[in-house]
Amino acid sequence: MRTVGKKSKVIGFGTVGILTVTGLVFLFPVYALVLAAFRPGQELMRFGITLKTLIPEGLSAENILGLFTARKGAYGFWLRNSIVIMVLRTGLSVLFSAFVGYGLGMYEFKGRSFFLSLVLFLMVVPIQILILPLYRMIISLRLINTVWGVILPFVVYPFAIFFFRQYAVTLPRAFLDAGRIDGVSEIGIFFRIMMPLMIPAFGAMIILVSLQSWNDFLWPLIVMRTEKMFTIPIGLNSLLTPYGNNYDMLLSGAFVATVPIIIVFLLFQRFFISGLSAGSIKG
Amino acid sequence: MFFAFAKRFFFLMSLALVLVFSVVAGGQGESEGVKGGTELELWTFQETHIEFYEQMAKLWNEEYPDRQIELVATAYPYDEMHNQLLVALQSGVGAPDIVDVEIARFPNYLKGVPQFAAMNDKVEPIMDELVKGRFEIYAKDGKYYGLPFHVGALVMYYNMDILNKAGVDPDTIETWDDYVEAGKKVKAATGKPMTTIEVTEQWSFWPLISQRGSDFVDENGKIILDNDINIDTLQFLYDMMHTYNIAIPTPGGFCHSEEYYGFMNNGGAASIAMPFWYMNRFTDYMPDLKGKILIRPCPRFTPTGHRSAGMGGTGTVVTNQADDIELAKDFLAFAKLSKEGNILLWKLLGFDPPRWSVWEDPALHEKNKFTDYYINGTKIFDEVLKVKDEIYPVHMSPAVPDIINVIQSEVMYQVLEDQSKTPREALVDAANQVRAMY
Amino acid sequence: MSFQEIVPGQVRFIGGTNYKRLLNPQFFTAVKNSLTYMFWTIVVLIPVPMILAVLLNSIPGKKSYLLRGMLFIPALMSVVVVGTIFRLLFASSDMALVNRFVGLFGGEPQAWLLAGSWKSMFLLVLIATWRWTGINIVYFLSGLQQIPHDLYESAEIDGAGPVQKLFRITIPLLKPTTVFVTAISIFGGLAMFEESYILWSAGSPDNSGLTIVRYIYRRGFEAADMGFGSAVGIALLFLVLLVSFTFLKITGFFKQERV
Repeated sequence: MRTVGKKSKVIGFGTVGILTVTGLVFLFPVYALVLAAFRPGQELMRFGITLKTLIPEGLSAENILGLFTARKGAYGFWLRNSIVIMVLRTGLSVLFSAFVGYGLGMYEFKGRSFFLSLVLFLMVVPIQILILPLYRMIISLRLINTVWGVILPFVVYPFAIFFFRQYAVTLPRAFLDAGRIDGVSEIGIFFRIMMPLMIPAFGAMIILVSLQSWNDFLWPLIVMRTEKMFTIPIGLNSLLTPYGNNYDMLLSGAFVATVPIIIVFLLFQRFFISGLSAGSIKG
Repeated sequence: MFFAFAKRFFFLMSLALVLVFSVVAGGQGESEGVKGGTELELWTFQETHIEFYEQMAKLWNEEYPDRQIELVATAYPYDEMHNQLLVALQSGVGAPDIVDVEIARFPNYLKGVPQFAAMNDKVEPIMDELVKGRFEIYAKDGKYYGLPFHVGALVMYYNMDILNKAGVDPDTIETWDDYVEAGKKVKAATGKPMTTIEVTEQWSFWPLISQRGSDFVDENGKIILDNDINIDTLQFLYDMMHTYNIAIPTPGGFCHSEEYYGFMNNGGAASIAMPFWYMNRFTDYMPDLKGKILIRPCPRFTPTGHRSAGMGGTGTVVTNQADDIELAKDFLAFAKLSKEGNILLWKLLGFDPPRWSVWEDPALHEKNKFTDYYINGTKIFDEVLKVKDEIYPVHMSPAVPDIINVIQSEVMYQVLEDQSKTPREALVDAANQVRAMY
Repeated sequence: MSFQEIVPGQVRFIGGTNYKRLLNPQFFTAVKNSLTYMFWTIVVLIPVPMILAVLLNSIPGKKSYLLRGMLFIPALMSVVVVGTIFRLLFASSDMALVNRFVGLFGGEPQAWLLAGSWKSMFLLVLIATWRWTGINIVYFLSGLQQIPHDLYESAEIDGAGPVQKLFRITIPLLKPTTVFVTAISIFGGLAMFEESYILWSAGSPDNSGLTIVRYIYRRGFEAADMGFGSAVGIALLFLVLLVSFTFLKITGFFKQERV
């Protein structure tokens, strides 16, 4: 690529330095949590977070192991539900939103501005306002306490549409014309030409929609009715009450809950190294 | 190159989908608990309550084999459980058979036509054995809807380590004036505050006005937040902090904050006045104080004044959407009103049970984790029996949640921490603000 | 719903009464807090992630993955636990970590969580920064992938330095992404609930953590006044629409933005 001179090495080193320091500062509270998760829950209450408690000693995996046996193994169910919902919701909504967003960004058609405004409007509407009508709908569809009840309202996701639209706007139209000249159908163009170009966007959206789904709280709470069907955030929240908290399960549960989403992140961040090499089409 | 990416992406996605389908397909249609009984759905916001109900359900099934129940109990997060219940009651579907409703939220469900079953036929026959004031909180127009978990009697928790250092005998503390004097001694001898006062919650303020027979609202629901007694009481809290210098703002703002537990655990303050149910916070979060805490009646304002107050609570109700209302009522009455239920409330949850006739029962003086923790632990109930008749009922109205809110986020902070308003100004402003909403 | 009085078992039409009741000091506090918070999050959470993303993009391979992960992890943490950790970090005792740190620089220990409005806002923005920087970096990184390398190469041939490249090429070409991130920051800022909830699950000192959504919650659910809650919701909707569409008009969003 580039010839690496002395100067850029220094810059590169400085860059890594800055980022590392920032990263460490960001990780600090996480570190505190991890330590707390590997200690008895009482410890955190007794000593708070001071310099002394940051020295990793007196750790045991007892809480983590106990997590899956406490409350009749409820945590295992929560984990399962969270994963199921995350995978389904992410897969469906990223795909559908990509279609719509691409359409809005690529094609000129009548009423496009209106449609775009509608998407934005939907993005803005706080879900709290929609809860009552949605709730009645889910009851009449008999989807209460099912995974589909949680997923359905989010299959088309305005926020992702908006993102894909912003991305599609920057795609070179020349590809579209080239595809048409070669007699590829519009759908074919999307799948065979455009989608590869949008890989970084897919990567970003998969990560973010997974995250949304993973931490979503309000809606699954309304749909899910039995402890076995809870997702992790709801389960963890049910450990906090005005009359005392179950810190043991809370801290270790929160720690374990971050593992799957980190896996998603690691899997899909590879897509950011996109194949958009320079000058692949000479206008 | 691109194709490879796209293909891999799709492959991953479809693989994941297939996996998920198999899991979903396999994981449905299971139920749990006793088979063959009538299913009772129960919601709570407190997971420890579930264990209590499940044990009571077991007893019930032994006692009434021909009316077996299958209890399906779920603990939801606090806020959300109440919100969901509201939604379910308003839309007429989806409510459980039995549900725990916390005291601060209870008035919301008494607006309009309460959607709960009246429990009068269960409560009235044994009223003389119950702490009546605790049932009236959950009543409207003479109908009792909710059954309490506890009396929530206000007591004082003294840290004897600190008191002994200062040479203070807690049994000589009769009135709040005595308490202030003792506080000055403690401060002089140890440099530590006598107590802490909440600045973002209501537990330091509400019990004290209740001791003096005042409240946020009167029995007719009129807002009396800014009456003279309340202003005077808030002034007293202010004086303890800023005039006598024997109190500090609660670290973390309130007595249920992680920060406060750590502070108290390290011998931060000499005492704290909290309801009876606070005792499990000590056992759970302040293990280092084991054997140092003494429970005594709270000081009083006048020589004949009340020493206690009934604070906090949860009223358990049967909703009108229950499939078998009679069965649900019978079971709830069995759990909450029977002697064995009340004994279990103490043994399992550490509550002062609402049926006071069991307080004298030997079962309440047996050793358990609570009695092991406190000084003279097996005699705790002797202390509570002393003040059983010194508890005014707490009045509830739809405005109370709002008032609590204003106390939490404005009044206590402005007067005690920020000192930007006098007690009178703060309470008058707050009361008018709430009145404007109703 | 916002024209009704809703109590369990009864619904009554009461016209515009709910909107009249909106004009109370708490509501205005909530609006003010939400707007202030939105302003600060935009000031912090656009430039910082952008610069970090550019830096991340400039280093190759494995190192970059690791660093990205470090910055992104906070976003994965569950709100409940983050609350516990942050409250303890900012505890008022002089032993607590942040106060120890302040002490090193000769400052007085502070009661962070109880210290009124500017400190409350500072904490809220701090938590927002901690949680959302990683996410915004992801957006900017995917946007950066769009910029053809040969632009940079030709700029280098013309003798442009890194700063010039940033201002001449990167920032202009990132515009669609920046518009997107700013737009969601506006929505997110005005609809903020969690950050405040993290710090003060009950009352916040002098309502310094009261935002519009918290107010909806407080009125609609805690006080079971759904009609009024809906009225606040509608007010929020109008506010968000006003701010965001103004912003999108200014940036020429509705015109085709061809690069």
